[in-house]
Amino acid sequence: MARVLEVQGVSKRFLGLKALQGVTLHLEEGEILAVIGPNGAGKSTLLNVISGLLRPDVGRVLFLGRDVTPLPPEVRTHLGLGRAFQIPTPLPELTVRENLLVGALFGRPGRSRKEAEARVEAVLELTGLAAKAEAPAGELTLLEDKRLELARALATGPRVLLLDEVMAGLRPKEAQEAVDLVRRIRDAGVSVLFIEHLMPVVRALADRVVVLDYGEVIAEGPYEQVAREERVREAYLGRRA
Amino acid sequence: MELFLQTLLNGLLMAGVYALVATGLALSLGVVGIVNFAHGEFLMVGAYLSYLLYAARGVDPLLALGLAFLAAFLVGALTYWGLIRPVLKAPELNQMLLTFGLSILLQNLALLLFGADTRVVAPPYQAATLALGPFFLGAVPLGAFLLSLALLLLLQAFLTRTPLGLAMRAVAQNRLAPGLLGIEAERVYLLAFGLAAALAGVAGVMLSVMLYASPTVGFVFTLKSFAIVALAGLGNLRGVMPAALVLALAEALVSTYVPGGGGLVEAVFFLVLFLALVGRAWRWG
Amino acid sequence: MKGVVLFLLVFVLLPFLPLGVWRAYLLDAGVFLLLYTASALSWDLVARTGQLSLAHGAFFGLGAYGVGLLEPHVGTLPALLSGSLLAGLSALLLGSVTLRLHGLYFAIASLAFSEVLRTLALKLPFTGGPIGLPVPPAFGGAPLAPYYLAFAVLAVAVGLSLWAEHSPFRLAQAACRQSEPVARVLGVRVVRVKLLSLLLGSLVAGLAGGVYAMKALFINPYEAFSLGRAVEALVIPIFGGLYTTLGPLLGGVVLVGLEQVLRLWIQEGYLVVYGAILILAILFLPRGLMGLWRRRRG
Repeated sequence: MARVLEVQGVSKRFLGLKALQGVTLHLEEGEILAVIGPNGAGKSTLLNVISGLLRPDVGRVLFLGRDVTPLPPEVRTHLGLGRAFQIPTPLPELTVRENLLVGALFGRPGRSRKEAEARVEAVLELTGLAAKAEAPAGELTLLEDKRLELARALATGPRVLLLDEVMAGLRPKEAQEAVDLVRRIRDAGVSVLFIEHLMPVVRALADRVVVLDYGEVIAEGPYEQVAREERVREAYLGRRA
Repeated sequence: MELFLQTLLNGLLMAGVYALVATGLALSLGVVGIVNFAHGEFLMVGAYLSYLLYAARGVDPLLALGLAFLAAFLVGALTYWGLIRPVLKAPELNQMLLTFGLSILLQNLALLLFGADTRVVAPPYQAATLALGPFFLGAVPLGAFLLSLALLLLLQAFLTRTPLGLAMRAVAQNRLAPGLLGIEAERVYLLAFGLAAALAGVAGVMLSVMLYASPTVGFVFTLKSFAIVALAGLGNLRGVMPAALVLALAEALVSTYVPGGGGLVEAVFFLVLFLALVGRAWRWG
Repeated sequence: MKGVVLFLLVFVLLPFLPLGVWRAYLLDAGVFLLLYTASALSWDLVARTGQLSLAHGAFFGLGAYGVGLLEPHVGTLPALLSGSLLAGLSALLLGSVTLRLHGLYFAIASLAFSEVLRTLALKLPFTGGPIGLPVPPAFGGAPLAPYYLAFAVLAVAVGLSLWAEHSPFRLAQAACRQSEPVARVLGVRVVRVKLLSLLLGSLVAGLAGGVYAMKALFINPYEAFSLGRAVEALVIPIFGGLYTTLGPLLGGVVLVGLEQVLRLWIQEGYLVVYGAILILAILFLPRGLMGLWRRRRG
C-alpha cells in the first residue's frame, strides 16, 4: 500500500515550550488514521505542520512521496492536501455556496468555472448543505458550520483530508451521520487523517490509531491494541492537571 | 559631548508628555478596542481650557491641570456614551471613519471659535530653567515630565491594585466580542475611555505652556501616539514609555544634529517605526 | 452595473450638457471629483484583500512627482505612465515587506512609508524642496485635456474594479480579507492576490496623481503626499459602500459634492458640518449609501 502522507521526525517549539518532539507517522492510501491524545498533546500543532501553516524546527513532511516541508499551505492544497479547522471558520460575508466555490476554484490549478460549480453542487449534496446554499455563511448553526468546514475542504478535491475534531459538540445521531459521511468520503478515494476525542467515534472509524502525549508518539496500531497499552491509559487517566 | 547629553535630556523630558498621551490611546485601543482618531482632540480640549482660564481669569495652569482632567474625562465619557457605544459592534472601518469625522468636527469647531492662531499660555515661570551641573533643564518640561511619570505610576497602581483596575485589564484581555456586554463591562469601557481622554487633557494643559494651543495641535499628537503604540505593540501598556522615549530622543537628536532637521524629524521616526514593524513581523514567522 | 454605466455616461457627456453659467465651475470641480473618486476606487480595490492602506497618499504623490519631473522632457502620456509605474514599484516594495502585517499594523506601516517618501520629496535636490515643482499642462494646454484625462483614469479604475468584482478574483480577495489561513488552506495564492491588488490600486492612484499635477500646474510635498489625500481615499468608499464599484462612485459624488456645496453655502466652519455628517452617516448608514440602496430594493 502506498504511503500518501509521511511525517518524519518533526519537532516544534513555541517560545521554549516543546509542542512536538520527533513525531514520525504515516498515512496509507485509502486508510482512515486517527490521532488521539490528551489535551495539549500537540495534535492541532501537528495538523498545522502537516498542512503548512507552521514550519517545523526539525523534520520533514512528505506528501505523495514529495517533500512539501518548504511549501506554503496553498501549494499543498494544490497537490491534493485538504484541511478542515477545529473551530469552524466560515467566510462570513460569503454564502455557503461561495465558500465552497473558493475551495473548488482555487483548490487545484486549472479548474474551469464550470468544473468548479459542478464540484460545488456535488459537495453540497454529499454534505447535506444544499438547502442552505444561498445562506450567508455567518448565519449558520454550529452543526451547519461544521458541515461547511468539511464541505469546503472537500470542494478543493483532496486526495488526503485532514480533519480536526469535527465531531465535537455533535449529538449522537449527528455524530453517526458524520461517521457515515467520512466513510463515504474514504470510499470515494480520499485518505483521511483525523484528530478526535470521542473514543466511540475513533473505534468506529479508524483503521489505525496514533497516540500523542506531550508532543511525542507513545503508541500506534489498531484501536483495540492501543487502548490496552499501559502508557496510553496513563496518559489519559494518570497524572497532571 | 555636552551638547549630546543636553539633547538627550531635552528628549527625555518630552518623552513624559508623549507617553502620557500615548498611554491614553493605548487604553482606549486595548480596553475598548476602538481606533480613536479623535484622541488628540481631547488633548486640544485641555490645551484650550488652560488657555481660556489663563487668559480670562489668570488661572495658573497648575490649577487648570486638575480641571482639565475632569473636563476631558467628562467629554470622553460623553463621547463614549453617545458616539462610541453605538458602533462597538460595527466593522473596524466604520469606527475609524466615525472617530475621524469627530476629529474633523472638533478641529474645525476650534478653528471657528478660536481662529487658527496658536495661543500660548505664558505664566511667569514659563521660561525658567534649572541648572544641573553643566546642563539646563526647563522648569516646565521638568515639571511636565515628573507629573506625567507620577500619573503613569498612579495608573499602573490603579490597574494592578484596585478591583476596577483589574476589571479593566480583564476586559482588555478577554475582549471576545466588543459590544456584547454585561453592565459590568459597560462601566469599564466608559471608565477606560474617559480615563484615556483625561490623560490627554492633562497633557494638553502642559503643552499649552510648553508649546501652544491650536486647532491642529491635537492631530499631530494623535499621529505620534499611534506610532508610539504601534512601536510598543498593541496591548502592551508597559512598552509605551520606552517607545515614547525612542520617539522623543530621535526627535531631539535629529533636530539638534541634522541641519534643516525640522522636516526630517518625523521621517526619521517613521522610518524607525517602519523598520521595527517589519522586523517584528518577520520574526514572528 | 446600470448605475455605473449611467455614472460614466453623465460624466463623459458633461462638457456637452447645457450648463450655462455653471459650466466653468462644474468642469473644474469635475476634474477633482473624477480624480478623487478614482483614487477612492483604487483604495477600495486594495481594501478588498483586507489591506487597509494609508499609503494611497504616497502613490498619488509619486504619480504627481513623476509627471512633474518627466513631463517637460517626455511629454504628457509617457510621463503619466512613468509616474504611475513609479507608484506601482513603490507599492510592490511596500507590499512585499508588509505581507505579515495585519489591520492597524499594516495601516500604520503604510502611513510611515508615506511619510518617509514625503520627506524624500522635501529633501531631495531635484524635487524642488518645500516650494515644489511647476508642472506643464497636459497636451500643451488643450482645453478639455485635464477633464478627459481624469475621466480616462476613472474609467480605468472602474474597469479594474468591475473585472475584480465579476471574476474569480472577487472570491480570492474576499477569502484573503475574511481569513487568510482559511484562504491559504483552500488554495488561494494569498501573497499574489495581495500584491496584485496593491499594485493595481497604486497604479491607478499614481495615474490620478499625475493628472492632478497637470491640472494644478504646481505640486509640493505637502499637497501631493498629504495625509488628507490618503484619508479621502478611504472615507469615500466607507461612506458609499465598501467592496463595490458603485459605492465609491456614489460616495465620491456625494462627499466631494457635499464638501463643495457646504463650502459655498456655509463658508466658515463648513468642515464642522462635514464632520457631523460623517458621524451621522456612520451611526445611521452603517453599510454606506449602497446599504441604503440595497435595503430599498428589499
